[in-house]
Amino acid sequence: MGRNTAIKRYDTSPSGQPIELFETKHARLPVVMELLRSPWIVRASDLVSADGTSATKRAEQSVAVSWDAERQYPTSFTRGNLRYRIDAVVQIWATDRAWWDPRQRVSRRYWRVLARGGVYDLAYDRETREWVLVGIQD
Amino acid sequence: MSSGFVHLHTHSNFSFMDGACPLEAMVTRAAELGMPALALTDHQGLSGAIRFYQACKKADIAPVLGVEVVVETAGLLGEEADLPPDSRLILPARVGFGRASAVGFHLTLLAKDFAGYRNLCRLLSRAHLRGPDIDSVVSLTDLAHFSEGVIGLSGCGNGEAARALAAGRPGRARTALQRLSSCFAPGDFYVELVHPMTADGPRLVAGLVKAAEDLALPVVATNNVHYLRAKDMRLHDVLASAGARMSLPGPYDRPNAELYLKSPTEMRQLFEGCDRACDATLEIAARCRMELPLGEFHFPSADVPLGETPYSVLAKEAWRGLERRYAPMTPEAIRRLQHELALIDQMGFPEYFLVVKEIVDFAKRSGIRFSGRGSAGDSIVSYALGITDADPIRHDLLFERFLNPERRQMPDIDVDFDSARRDEVIDFIYKRFGHEHVAMVATVQTTTARSAVRVAARSFGMPIKEVNSLSRHLPWVSARRIREVLESYPECRDHPLKNPKYAQVLEIAEQFDATPTHLGTHLGGFIITKEPIASWTPLQWAAKGVVVSQYDKDDVEALGLVKMDILGLRMHSAISTAVELARARVGEAAVPEPFELTPDDPVVYDMVARADTVGMFQLESSGQRNLSTRLKSSRFEDIIAQISLFRPGPLEAEMITPFIRRRHGIEPVTVPHEAMRDCLKDTYGVIVYQEQVLLVSKAVAGFTLAEADSLRRAMTKGRSREEMERIRGHFLERSLARGVDSEVAAEVFRQLEGFAAYGFNKAHAACFAVVSYASAWLRTYFPAEFAAAILNHEPMGFYSSRLIVNDARRHGITIYAPHVNASEARYTVEDDGRAIRVGLKDVHAMTTRLLDTIPREREVRPFRDLADFLRRTRAESPACESLIRIGALDGLGITEEGRPPTRDEQLVLLPELKAVLAREGVAGDDTLCLAPAPTRAPEDATHPSGWSPVRRLSAELELVGLSLTDHPLALATEDLEARGVTWAAKLRDLPDRSKVRVVGVRERAQTPRTRSGKRTCFLTLEDPTGLLDAVVFEDVLNRVGDVIVKHRAYLIDGTLQNNPERGLAIVADNVQPYVVRTSAGTPVRMRRGVASGPMGPALGGAGAPEEASWEDAETYMTEASGFSVAVDESASYKRGTSRPAKS
Repeated sequence: MGRNTAIKRYDTSPSGQPIELFETKHARLPVVMELLRSPWIVRASDLVSADGTSATKRAEQSVAVSWDAERQYPTSFTRGNLRYRIDAVVQIWATDRAWWDPRQRVSRRYWRVLARGGVYDLAYDRETREWVLVGIQD
Repeated sequence: MSSGFVHLHTHSNFSFMDGACPLEAMVTRAAELGMPALALTDHQGLSGAIRFYQACKKADIAPVLGVEVVVETAGLLGEEADLPPDSRLILPARVGFGRASAVGFHLTLLAKDFAGYRNLCRLLSRAHLRGPDIDSVVSLTDLAHFSEGVIGLSGCGNGEAARALAAGRPGRARTALQRLSSCFAPGDFYVELVHPMTADGPRLVAGLVKAAEDLALPVVATNNVHYLRAKDMRLHDVLASAGARMSLPGPYDRPNAELYLKSPTEMRQLFEGCDRACDATLEIAARCRMELPLGEFHFPSADVPLGETPYSVLAKEAWRGLERRYAPMTPEAIRRLQHELALIDQMGFPEYFLVVKEIVDFAKRSGIRFSGRGSAGDSIVSYALGITDADPIRHDLLFERFLNPERRQMPDIDVDFDSARRDEVIDFIYKRFGHEHVAMVATVQTTTARSAVRVAARSFGMPIKEVNSLSRHLPWVSARRIREVLESYPECRDHPLKNPKYAQVLEIAEQFDATPTHLGTHLGGFIITKEPIASWTPLQWAAKGVVVSQYDKDDVEALGLVKMDILGLRMHSAISTAVELARARVGEAAVPEPFELTPDDPVVYDMVARADTVGMFQLESSGQRNLSTRLKSSRFEDIIAQISLFRPGPLEAEMITPFIRRRHGIEPVTVPHEAMRDCLKDTYGVIVYQEQVLLVSKAVAGFTLAEADSLRRAMTKGRSREEMERIRGHFLERSLARGVDSEVAAEVFRQLEGFAAYGFNKAHAACFAVVSYASAWLRTYFPAEFAAAILNHEPMGFYSSRLIVNDARRHGITIYAPHVNASEARYTVEDDGRAIRVGLKDVHAMTTRLLDTIPREREVRPFRDLADFLRRTRAESPACESLIRIGALDGLGITEEGRPPTRDEQLVLLPELKAVLAREGVAGDDTLCLAPAPTRAPEDATHPSGWSPVRRLSAELELVGLSLTDHPLALATEDLEARGVTWAAKLRDLPDRSKVRVVGVRERAQTPRTRSGKRTCFLTLEDPTGLLDAVVFEDVLNRVGDVIVKHRAYLIDGTLQNNPERGLAIVADNVQPYVVRTSAGTPVRMRRGVASGPMGPALGGAGAPEEASWEDAETYMTEASGFSVAVDESASYKRGTSRPAKS
């Protein structure tokens, strides 16, 4: 199913909409992805309040990640006792800073992923060679 | 459409400190990644374009030439600065280097075709030449005017549209895109998408795509490549920081290592969902199919009268010149000229010769000394036109060595002009050809071990003292050899870079091997074109304030443009000055023009054979002096051979030994084939000159001279085994066909092969020999004038001013200290050619104003005393203090004790007199009544200065850099003789293999490449009696290398080598430092201590601290067996006498 097809498919007639917007979980995914990637939508978690705080939950928590070597994507991660299957990768970015200073050096590759209905930021730390959960977005 | 991708936005290291991709490596990588094309878009210039084009052609991928410029603001009407701060976009950091840099938004431009390339050159030149200190920003008007054949991309994250979007102003981004696109032809402007792999990257890309859709503009994906692989990001960060003179993270603070040359797959993944952006790269690359017309020649227009052709004018001039040069004309000269003229016409070079002639004719008319050199001396046309002065027939010089009809390549005539008047020649060139048709050639400055360490250390924010300590004592080697050098070179034994805390500096530095850092200006290379030069090459302001091309000499040659080397030769200036001084003393008629002398004076050759050659052009170095004693030159051909033999090639091939042995009859002259005997008669059967390779090939194998030159070139450059076998087969075949025995032919080829790569161009040596003979003649007959002339034009030659002065003194010339009542700014000759008066220009802290004022005031009347001097010259305190300390005011005035004031008294009086002058405007005579404050009693009552000889000498070395009274080691004569030192002048009388101990102040230390690859240090030292040479072989050097580097004077124990075959030298067994001290324990200085005057030499380690080496000497002496001697300050010299300044 195409990205916008799911949106176009549901009934907008006055008789009302079905309670379930999407027939399956897979039908919902393209819509969520489209919304997450849209440049014109600003997520509440990205907004910074006047006192400088953000709605994003920031954490530095080691997690175990299973890796799809072929696609070069993470497929799931385990947080606490829960396993989070990654439904989609929303975005990838990287940071390499202060390489000359061992105390401040940061070299990470980030994956913003959709899992269990939430958006999570996973990072692979190239210095420690560990996976870290660095943020829970929405 | 496709799965491919082409990078259209890349920065090589020709982006000067903002790009870490080596050009060739980038092209190779692109080819490996299967890219059909690659673009180069360096910041603000095309400096790497030609070599990039050639590398792409070699790698069989299509080159796309482009540039990333800084463009004026397009998204807002009016000036950005007029808006309130909140409405302004923050401009990106400065890009580009030196005077080609600018602050502003970026725009990527690509040339579609040759017209587009020319427009890029014009556009860049317009931007760079707006003014030397104006930012190089491309205006929108110029952009629209020069956009034909050019494709525009909206720029990276520092483009105006991207910046506006990042700042949340999509409206402004749209306006900017709209205005920029209107500067280009429809379809030639693309919105550039760069995915920086940051958290907000996708939002930025989406915003740009949206803006492009709104404006119906196509999009294209790029990666703004700055380094080849992700790991190279560190190099880029370091370069950028050092370029901006900041410490890391530098001016751009880039967030990650994503700006590398990504593969097509990676790029397609990055722009997943926007395939058209990647497809567009292939479309654009297909549209940019440009062919540069490399291999064609483009000559400037010569002055040709109506009805004539360049050839007819050249032929007339050449025949006229031949009549002048050969009286009477010989049939051989006529045949030779006809042959050369025909070839020059056939190759299309008459205009080139005429242009060179115009320039040298101007020099002749203006009385500016010049001489042609290089292979141009092989041509009788050059000789007839007066460009060169060596007779090509007399010296067996061959035209085909200069211009080979089988290989049509740009002729290269180098001319040296009097360096003091070179600017007049340059002015003429600009006036004659027009400012729009002349520019200087650039040089690409690259990193060496030292500069690489400095770049790395500075970027890590180290203080300058630490940076200096890390780069000091590193030899001049390439950066990739730093680790090897640190491990193996003795002078690096305790180098701080070995400290583990500098491991990162070392690791980064060694990766900067030959990285271009900035554009310099060629010493004398000018491009002259028929069309405006900006349509061929981008121009910019050089740091020294001249307009320079962005291309270096190789690029210029590849483009087929004419490069003229208008070089300055200080020896020409010195010869002109010496002639002028001599004629002023003995009259015009008594001094002939030295270049027109018949070179046959035995007195001159005798001086050369004695190795008494200090100051002589090309004959003065320690190696040449050694060769002089072995060769015993007695005719002009010997001088040519001497110049040719002491070169890296002949030295490496060890040609000197057989040459000398055969010359002196120690071994017989043998040649494998009788036909070679005549070709090699002047060099005793040894192939010394490149021209001889041609002659032998012709004589033995029957080659034409053109074929023979092609053979020589093939033997010289990049020979592969297969290629050599092919050449050998060809040579043997031709020889056998002429009835030459196969073994003989093989032996001839073996000799040719062995020497072709090392032979020297005889024409070049012959042209130099004319100048050498002229300088030798002047030194023989006008030694004072010649020495004064050299001192006036320092720095030049092999030796320092200090040594020139000491050498003159050893030849019986009196050296007078500078004096305000006798000295000019420059060095002058006194006592009918028996004395030299030191000029004021070299005195520390002198100003140009004072140099003018002193002689002018003195013409009114001599200075009476210090007060009179101060009142009339208004001399500044530092200059006046220097003059007092150097003795330039000795003997002036009178004290109550009825004697002139001592230097100490004058120094005490100086501030008081300055205060009176400051208070009263003009001080009257009553200032004399000032009683000087009590000073210490005169150390030497016999001298008007009141100073001891030691103190006077120290002041001389410190303030003028010369030892005027005597050599500093003469102070320690007693101590040195007690230590068993043999003086330089006595060495010649000792037998070969004697064990000797010598002493000397270091004049030069050289470690040239040797055939064995071992390091050998050649030391040139000077003691009070003369020069001596010491050789320090690797085993000793490993032990004493650091002593040689860190100290100035040494005691050397070694074995004397004194035989006609090897010459005179000492093979060192041990080198120890030697320090001369005053009785108070202060070390006596051995070199100049402060910077020179405004016209004085800037080189020679002036101002370098000597104290460090003294401290080291102390350490050495406590730890090992270094020597130190304290001299009695009140004692006079053992040798020579102190000479008070004549007032």
